[in-house]
Amino acid sequence: MSASYTAVGWNRQKKIYDWVIAGLCTAYLTLFALLTLIFNDQVTLETLIIRSTSTLAVLLLHIILAIGPLCRLNNKCLPLLYNRRHLGVTMFSMALIHGVFSLFQFHALGNVNPLVSLFISNTNYSSLPAFPFQALGFFALFIFFVMAVTSHDFWLHNLSPGIWKTLHMFVYLAYFLVVMHVMLGVIQYENNPVLVIMIFTGMAALTVLHLRAAFREHRTDSQQFSKQLEGFVCVCDVQDIENGRAKIFCIDKERIAVYRHEDRMYAIHNVCKHQGGPLGEGKIIDGCITCPWHGYQYLPQNGQSPPPFKEKVSTYDVKLIENKVWLNPIPFAEGTEREGALIKN
Amino acid sequence: MNNSEFYIGWQPQAPERLAKHSQSIVIILFLLIAGVGTSLALLQKRFSTARFEFGQLTEVKGIYQSFPVPALKVFTGNDAFGNSSFITMPLVGYGKSGAEGVIAQLEKNYRFSFDNHEITVKGTLLYSDGKTLLQIDQHDHPLVKVREAPVYGRKATIAELGTVKLTGEVLDPKCYFGVMKPGHGKPHRDCAIRCIEGGMSPVFYVRNKNGEANYYLLLDEAGTKMNSELKDYIAEPVWLEARAVQYDDWIVLYVRRGSIRRTGGLSWFKVKDGDISCGKPNGSLE
Repeated sequence: MSASYTAVGWNRQKKIYDWVIAGLCTAYLTLFALLTLIFNDQVTLETLIIRSTSTLAVLLLHIILAIGPLCRLNNKCLPLLYNRRHLGVTMFSMALIHGVFSLFQFHALGNVNPLVSLFISNTNYSSLPAFPFQALGFFALFIFFVMAVTSHDFWLHNLSPGIWKTLHMFVYLAYFLVVMHVMLGVIQYENNPVLVIMIFTGMAALTVLHLRAAFREHRTDSQQFSKQLEGFVCVCDVQDIENGRAKIFCIDKERIAVYRHEDRMYAIHNVCKHQGGPLGEGKIIDGCITCPWHGYQYLPQNGQSPPPFKEKVSTYDVKLIENKVWLNPIPFAEGTEREGALIKN
Repeated sequence: MNNSEFYIGWQPQAPERLAKHSQSIVIILFLLIAGVGTSLALLQKRFSTARFEFGQLTEVKGIYQSFPVPALKVFTGNDAFGNSSFITMPLVGYGKSGAEGVIAQLEKNYRFSFDNHEITVKGTLLYSDGKTLLQIDQHDHPLVKVREAPVYGRKATIAELGTVKLTGEVLDPKCYFGVMKPGHGKPHRDCAIRCIEGGMSPVFYVRNKNGEANYYLLLDEAGTKMNSELKDYIAEPVWLEARAVQYDDWIVLYVRRGSIRRTGGLSWFKVKDGDISCGKPNGSLE
C-alpha cells in the first residue's frame, strides 16, 4: 500500500479566499476614491492614494488580528484562518504603497536622501504633540515587511516554528506602532472625531476578543485533576470523547490531546509543529489527527506525520480503568510509538 | 460543531454549513468596508482650492527684489489716480528648495546682481487665498530677459506696524499655497521642515477671530533668514513676538530672539485650527 501527495497549490478554497480579499480591497479603494472626488474634489492624486491605502491597511490589520481569537472562540471562523497570510501580505502591500508615496511626497526632492530625511527632519522625540510619527510608521512597515517575506512555509521550516512564531508575534508591536502613528499623525490634523472613535473601537474590540479567548483557554488550563495513580491522572469518562475527536487537558502546564480513534484512546502533545495549532480541536481524517488550523496531519499511535512529511509530536501513555480515562503526563520522545488504550465494550 | 463540519483548507470544498457561515462573514466584511470607507471619505477635512500648475510654464515679468525674500514685483496696472499697483510674487525653487540657488547661478552667469532689475522668467505658478508664488527651475532655463527697471508711478509701501504677539503656524509656502493638500499641519510637518531647511522662505499662518487667514513672512530681528531656528516649531501652534513691517502686499515679522514657543497640547485634545488667532496685548494685525 502506498500514498502519493500533490502540492495544494491554489485550490478552489484559496481562490475563493483571494477573490474575496481582492473584492474587499477594490470595493474599499473605489468607494473611498469616488466619495472623496465627488464631495472633496480638490484632493490631489497623491493624497488620495496615501489616504485610501493607509486606511484600508489599518482596517485589514484589525481584521487580521481579530481572526485568531475569533477562531479560538468559534470554530466556524476557521475558514478565515487558513489563508490569513494572504490577507497579511495584502495588508502589507497597501501599507507599502502608503509608505512609498508618503516617503516621496514628504521627503523626496529635498537636500538629503529621503530615508535619511525621514529620521532627521523632525527630531522632537521628547514632545508628544510634535513627535515624529512617520518614524513609527516606518518601523511598523518594516515589521510587516519581515512578516510578509517570511510568511511562506519555506521560512517557517527554515527558521523553525518557534522562531517563526516569535517573529510573527511582533505584529502586536507593529499594531501599537500603527495606532501611535495615526494618533500622533493625521488625527492631530483632522477635526472630525470619526477616526479617533474608529481607532478606539478597533482597539477595544481586539482587546475584548483576545481577553475572552484567553479567559476560555485559562478555564481549560486551570482544570484540576484530583485522582492520581502511579503517575497517571484521571481526566474524564470514556464517553466524554466522541469517536474521531479529542479533549484537551492541561497537566503540569502542558496541553495534551486525548483522541478516540476506532476502538482505542491515544494521547499526543496538543501543539501542532506547523504553527502551534491546537491538535485537540482537530479531527481524525483518513486515520490521521488533522490540525484545525492548516490541516497538518499526525498518526495518533506515534505522533508522526505520514511519510514523506517529517513533523513529530510527543506521545503519552493512556489507560482505561473501568469507564475512566487515565493519562500519564510524562511525554515520550516525539514520534514514539504507543499502542493506546483499548476500549472494551 | 459536529463531525461533518470540520474545515480543512486544502480540500477543494468546505462543508456546506461552514460555507454558509463564511458567506455571512463575507457579507459582514463588505458592510464593514463600506461603512468605514464611506465615513472616512466623507468626514475628511475639506481640501483647499490651492493650485499648482504642474507641467505648465508661464512667463512672468517683474522687478526682482532679494529682500525681504526673493520675489518679483509684478506690475498689475494703474489705479484711478494713475498710481501703479503691484503684487509681490515670492520665488521658490524646484522640489524642496528655495529660489536663491537658481538666482545666484543666473547672476553668476550674467555677472551682475538682478536686484531691482526687471526680469522676465518662466516658471510654474502656484496660488491660493490671494497669494501667488512662482517656482523657477534651473532645468527650465527660467531667465527670458533682464533689463533695467522702468520707472513706475508709485514707490513701494513700507510701513511700521508695531510690535505684535501672535499665535499661528509656521509653514512652507510652496506646499501650502499650491503643491500639497494638506500643505500644513502635523501630517505635513516633515515635508515643511525639509522645504524650510532647503531654503524656502517660511510663512507664518494666522487665523483671526473672524476666521480669515493672514500670512506673514518671517525674518529674525536683524532681517536675516531664521530657517534653522524655526525647524523645531514648524507645523504646530506656536506663539511669537515680532516687529511687523508692511512691504506692499506682504507683512514681514521680525521675530524677537527667543520669543517663539509652542502653545502645547495634542490637537485632538486641545488646539485646533480655529483656535489659531491674533494675539491682542501690544497690537494685532487683523
